[in-house]
Amino acid sequence: MEDELILKKISEARKKQLTTMWEVFKSNKTAYTSLYVLLAIIMLVLVGFFYTPYNPYDFDLSRARQPPSPKHLLGTDELGRDILSRLMVGGRYTIGISFISVILGSIIGSTLGLISGFFGGRIDTVVQRVVDVALAFPTTLLAIALMVSLGPGILSLIVAISISTFPTYTRLVRGVVLQVVNEDYVAAAKLLGRSSWYIIFKHILPNVISPIIVQTSYYLGFSILLASALGFLGLGVPPPTPEWGSMIGSGRVYLFSSPHIVMFPGLFITITALSFNLIGDGLRDALDPRSRMFLRRF
Amino acid sequence: MTLARYLVRRVWHSIPTLIGALLFIFILVRVLPGDPARLIAGPEALEEDVQRIREQLGLDRPLYIQFIDYVSTILKGDFGRSIKFGTPVINEILFRLPYTIVLALVAEVIAVAVALPLGILSALRPNSKTSYITSIISLVGASTPVFWIALILIYVFSVSLRLLPSSGAESPRHIILPAITLSLVLMGNLTRITRSSVIEVLSSNHVLTAVAKGLKDRVIVIRHVLKNALIPIVTIMGLQIGNLLGGAIITETVFAWPGIGSLLIDAIFFRDYTLIQGIILFMVLVFIIINIVVDIIYAYIDPRIRDVLWRTS
Amino acid sequence: MEKVLEVVDLRVYYEIPQGTVKAVDGVDLEVFKGEILGVAGESGSGKSTLALTIAGLLRPPAKVVSGKVLFKGVDILKLGNDELRSIRGRRIGIIFQDPVTYLNPIYTVGFQVGEVFEAHRGGKVGKYFSEVINLFKAVKIGDPERRVYSYPHQLSGGMKQRVLISIAIAEKPELIVADEPTSALDVTIQAEIVELLNEIRKELNTSIVFITHDLALLLEIADRIAVMYAGKLVEVGRADEMYKDPLHPYTKALISTLRYERKRRPTPIKGSIPSLINPPPGCRFHPRCPYAISKCSQVDPKLSSVSGRLVSCLLVGGSNG
Repeated sequence: MEDELILKKISEARKKQLTTMWEVFKSNKTAYTSLYVLLAIIMLVLVGFFYTPYNPYDFDLSRARQPPSPKHLLGTDELGRDILSRLMVGGRYTIGISFISVILGSIIGSTLGLISGFFGGRIDTVVQRVVDVALAFPTTLLAIALMVSLGPGILSLIVAISISTFPTYTRLVRGVVLQVVNEDYVAAAKLLGRSSWYIIFKHILPNVISPIIVQTSYYLGFSILLASALGFLGLGVPPPTPEWGSMIGSGRVYLFSSPHIVMFPGLFITITALSFNLIGDGLRDALDPRSRMFLRRF
Repeated sequence: MTLARYLVRRVWHSIPTLIGALLFIFILVRVLPGDPARLIAGPEALEEDVQRIREQLGLDRPLYIQFIDYVSTILKGDFGRSIKFGTPVINEILFRLPYTIVLALVAEVIAVAVALPLGILSALRPNSKTSYITSIISLVGASTPVFWIALILIYVFSVSLRLLPSSGAESPRHIILPAITLSLVLMGNLTRITRSSVIEVLSSNHVLTAVAKGLKDRVIVIRHVLKNALIPIVTIMGLQIGNLLGGAIITETVFAWPGIGSLLIDAIFFRDYTLIQGIILFMVLVFIIINIVVDIIYAYIDPRIRDVLWRTS
Repeated sequence: MEKVLEVVDLRVYYEIPQGTVKAVDGVDLEVFKGEILGVAGESGSGKSTLALTIAGLLRPPAKVVSGKVLFKGVDILKLGNDELRSIRGRRIGIIFQDPVTYLNPIYTVGFQVGEVFEAHRGGKVGKYFSEVINLFKAVKIGDPERRVYSYPHQLSGGMKQRVLISIAIAEKPELIVADEPTSALDVTIQAEIVELLNEIRKELNTSIVFITHDLALLLEIADRIAVMYAGKLVEVGRADEMYKDPLHPYTKALISTLRYERKRRPTPIKGSIPSLINPPPGCRFHPRCPYAISKCSQVDPKLSSVSGRLVSCLLVGGSNG
């Protein structure tokens, strides 16, 4: 009977902790607004699955490069396609690919870091070496190299960005694991005969979750920039797919006459990345106000 | 442990990483779709010619032998020959390297000149206008795509105002826009790290001791706050070389600045795989070397690091 | 006897999001020339804040709300920055608690001590190294000629603390504030440091305000002791008298934890230290006091003189409250 009471108290305390974190996050006005901005953009992209003002692939040179007008809210691009529609559909690629890649990278990286830190020994050395090699490449360079090697395409892009992001997670998680593993309560758990799984889930995971979440938020912003940069260079998803970066890449020649072709996709990229970064700041303050050393990458 | 010995130790530890990187680059090119021999020979070549080229390049031998060959040629300084130009890759790189170096230096100088003072001031005077500006800059740096900023700058300064040139490298004026663009990449992170580093040092106890001694405020700030805060800042600056290289690739491409960044993109466009391989390898080498240099500087500034390393080695 | 320091009705509060912390809430104190005044209190009693205020080192969010700190007749709370700077390190020295974080890791200890001379005599730090060596000899740091070039992390805890002490005594100050100078050290080293401070007091005829939670230590070294509880003083008097005959219930309880016969365990004081944001009404100790009467929860007793001692308790001595 008492055990149940204690467990109930613990889960209540947990809930209270979560609500407090949410309150702190909400109090950060910039982070809170960014959340809504991001949701708005995502809504726009989701709507794009069912409806777009025009067909984003439908080109007609006779109405090319028109500035924004009531007919085409954001104007038309160099091939006469409606920019707003292309942005709505392109968002799937830019945001979707970034999202999947970062999630993938975080899962792979964190698991590796967990195994490496927890089991140590040979495994640790091997993983460390691999991470060292990956980090010996500047991130953008690594992504470019991978895209050259794997060829253009959504899958290659996802692989390239995941590989670019996983090493940081590995280092991060490994660091936390090493710290936690040395704590007394883990030694106590081991003495009590708890299995490794138990220790991992009960003691290590809670400590590791917040850094991972904060880092992920920053990396989401970063990977949007990376994915669009690759698209801009022509190394991302092949045309005519309206990925936001490649829209800028192909529209760049007309900067002089029709800057809007380049401006709007860039604006969307910036706002999305900005939102992720601000949310990341808010999360960091809410989850662990002491840790202000997370690096935003770009 | 002396700095010299630390240097040797650092270099020694980077060798496995270097080999790993070489391996990775080697695999990258081998994984490419398409047959390198045929690419070199051209689509009209006969089968025997392609086979001859294949043997010439040693492409028919087992992979590990190819790798060993590759490493040994690299060690001799031979990065292969460009498929498109026929000239040694290393020559192509060295020819355009100075442009990248100049661009990087100017960009770094601009970034440091803006970021450090802003970061320090905003740490010493929180909640002021300086602090606000610093936050904006660091946010912009981290959220805007480099290539987009470049295009905006071109549009404003080249197209509309007709003030500055937007491509090529003929005159000193040509470096202004690319350098500013590249410096924005660095400024964002640098301002933020500078500010948080100074804030952290400001509240540390040894500063209180310095005050208790009766030292002048200026002396305290320079000797006990800034110099201590410098350590993490220098580390970050070193780490940023990676961002610098990556940003240079994009910046050079947009501004048609003839450095090794745009050379890489050109090589990709031309499918010149030897050249691509060589440039990537070169950049990685530079990155590794700079990281070692940063570690040495770091150890020089912070005497604790030297001793800790000596004890743990 | 000449008074070196006089604290008059000092109140130092901190403003934090949770409320106002009344760390020092009406403290009156006197320090005479050449004496060691011990200030005893548990953590959370406000004694560190008191130490920093006396040394003129208060940092926001702490604020002096009212009161005076008269150093040789001059209220240092009203001094400008330049005047404060000439006093700091030269006429008032301070020894901090944790030698690890209070020394700058990137400069040699010789340099850091030499800075005191540089601050008050000018010139470059380098020319004072021989004086620093003499200081090291005085505080008994072994092999001083080499040690001046050592970095803090190369020294043991005891040695680092001696470095902090040499910083405090470099310019032969008239008052030394020692904020828990031994708390971070081993017991054997503690004894050496305490002995060293006693010697310094005798040599320089300087006054020392020795702040600690360790009452036993004070009974060894202090001439007079002031006991602090929850931001206020509860008893002030001569050390030997207090040990023989503690008057305030809190002091009584503290002394009794020191004095216990074999086979009988010391009795802890029940309850815990009150919050400094919301102290209990009336006498702050009354919730934990075994002798408390109903009046104790209504009236906050003031320090009054009782047979040569100052005590703030309604049940002790003459008119109170």
